[in-house]
Amino acid sequence: MSAPVLTDTDAPAPATERPAVRLLRGLLPYVLALVLAFAVSGVVIAALGYDVVEAYRTIVTTSFRTGFGFTETLTKWVPLTLLALGFTIPLAVGRFNIGGEGQLLVGATAAAGVGIVYADLPTAVLLPLVVLAGVLSGAVWAGIAAFLMGRFRVNEILSTVLLNFVSFQVLDYAATEVWSDPAAGVAATQRVGEGAELPVLGGPPGVHAGILLALLVAAVTTVVTRRTAAGFELRAAGANPRAAAINGIRVEKVAVVALVVGGALGGLAGALEVGGVHGRAIEGMQSNFLLLGIIIGLIARGSALWVPVVAFGIAILEVGASSMQRTVGVPAEMVLIIEALILIFLLLSDVIAGRLARRVT
Amino acid sequence: MTEFAALAQLTVVAMVPYLLASLGTMLGGLTGVFSVSQEGVMLLGAAIGFLVSYGTGSTTIGILLAAGTGAVFGAALGWATTVLRLDQFVVGLALFFAATGLAGLLYRIVIGQGATTPRVDTLPRLEIPLLSDVPVLGTALFSHNVLVYLAALLAVAAWFFLYRTRAGLDLRSVGENPKAADSLGIPVVRNRLWTATVGGALMAVAGAYLPLVYTGTYTDSIVGGRGWLAIALTFFGGWRPQFIVLGALFFAAMDVVALRAEVAGIDIPSQVLLVVPYVATLLVMVFAFRWAKVPEFLGRNYDRESRTA
Repeated sequence: MSAPVLTDTDAPAPATERPAVRLLRGLLPYVLALVLAFAVSGVVIAALGYDVVEAYRTIVTTSFRTGFGFTETLTKWVPLTLLALGFTIPLAVGRFNIGGEGQLLVGATAAAGVGIVYADLPTAVLLPLVVLAGVLSGAVWAGIAAFLMGRFRVNEILSTVLLNFVSFQVLDYAATEVWSDPAAGVAATQRVGEGAELPVLGGPPGVHAGILLALLVAAVTTVVTRRTAAGFELRAAGANPRAAAINGIRVEKVAVVALVVGGALGGLAGALEVGGVHGRAIEGMQSNFLLLGIIIGLIARGSALWVPVVAFGIAILEVGASSMQRTVGVPAEMVLIIEALILIFLLLSDVIAGRLARRVT
Repeated sequence: MTEFAALAQLTVVAMVPYLLASLGTMLGGLTGVFSVSQEGVMLLGAAIGFLVSYGTGSTTIGILLAAGTGAVFGAALGWATTVLRLDQFVVGLALFFAATGLAGLLYRIVIGQGATTPRVDTLPRLEIPLLSDVPVLGTALFSHNVLVYLAALLAVAAWFFLYRTRAGLDLRSVGENPKAADSLGIPVVRNRLWTATVGGALMAVAGAYLPLVYTGTYTDSIVGGRGWLAIALTFFGGWRPQFIVLGALFFAAMDVVALRAEVAGIDIPSQVLLVVPYVATLLVMVFAFRWAKVPEFLGRNYDRESRTA
């Protein structure tokens, strides 16, 4: 179970290959996957009796037609990027963090709790506290799974997933027993104090300032994984655990730390959703960010550099999906199938590309 | 005593989805194909089982079509990881997403997006003559829907096949040491393909059980983590049918206890009761991963031409 999970796209190509050929070989699977996924889904949509052209036009253009659509896309991009990074960082060591949902919800609950209890504090004090509460509780939540994995060898896929189901009840308890707000109409906590709300950039409608934090996190992750000793240990432990261990890298410890860091990013996503979008913790606020984060991480092949780019594409599809459901009538679930198909076809094109490469050389 | 019989009966009813999904996981895993798409395949099985029963009025057709769909997903996992040798977890996750999306999509297409939730008739009880008249045991064991009996038979059959027949031994050798199995002429890929396929079918039937026995309705959250719990249960049961049955009983008992405590109005926050199965599973896994013997090649692909594996 320890073989490298994804093909390493950073590996230098044969020296004889021209850059143009290399670029083509890198891009070709993506183009193929996108075209095939949309083609297959198009057949399904048409077979259901909907207008394919109109459906796809809505999906692709909603984000760019209005300022509101674009803002919504950027707002969605923030948790998607953070959860995807929270998935890919442990993935670099060959560990699967399927607990982004739980880490987000626990982070959101803690952030909302701090924002409610210390509602009177000024922004300069309260906002950092709220974000910190989210990050720490996300890290602790993933830390439970990391501890069970490091100490008792409990499979992290299972422990992180099971903690998701526990987190639903943590939020439910906070939203119905501790800080309940009966006026909200849904199960939700009270609103956080004004000092806990993230400033809005640009607009109206504008994007909350959490987007800057997410950009920063993505940049830092890229630099750390590619340019530092810690990042090297992370990649070495994932690529060949035995070789890494022989060379003095404590693989198990690296894996535990990677999982905790992944959890911290999930918690951060939760805090930013509270401070920037909802102003409170709401049941169901996790949407399907977990699935999407994993899909993004896998499509980006674990690369921190590409995660934000892929996340932007997925955010466009997601914002387009709800618009498509409203105007064309195609259920929004269709988009989840398109996304899953992109991933599946990407995996298949890798196989084809691999066979072609072998034939050429 | 009747109270106990009623609880025991509920436990047996609640045990079936765990048992079926876990047996499906075990079957694929014994040849080395580790599925992580249970949660999605179960949801898809639930959707198809519900929708087909709703459309045709026949629960049997619903269950059979659900099984067929699950078999397709299992076969896809088997094909992608043997013929194409793609990473098992990545393919499993991709199939999980596809199945989840498909389940929601099918329901929305057939039923629409309105607020009404249609119902189907749940499976009737089949009281086994004479045996069901035995006090306590009769109620607990012999007055159930047909799937309960089938699941029990299946567990026994699986045990007999795997541990008392030559083909079963061959099958297990594929998951322990495919290279050795291959050198003895045991078809590695064929074994992996059929176990993954049947495994997928069992998971989907486990899912179809939920609307067709429990609720009579479908919701997107109907599986509620049972697919993931089934994986934990398979480890807990040491990948052996006889222990998986015991594990499934334990998981089901926790479900029933949590439910009963809530109904009885015991003064504990309901949230605490609802997390009991998940927390207990986490604790159990601490021990399960120590003693459980996992198939040596679980989750790893076999390449006949490779010299290292």
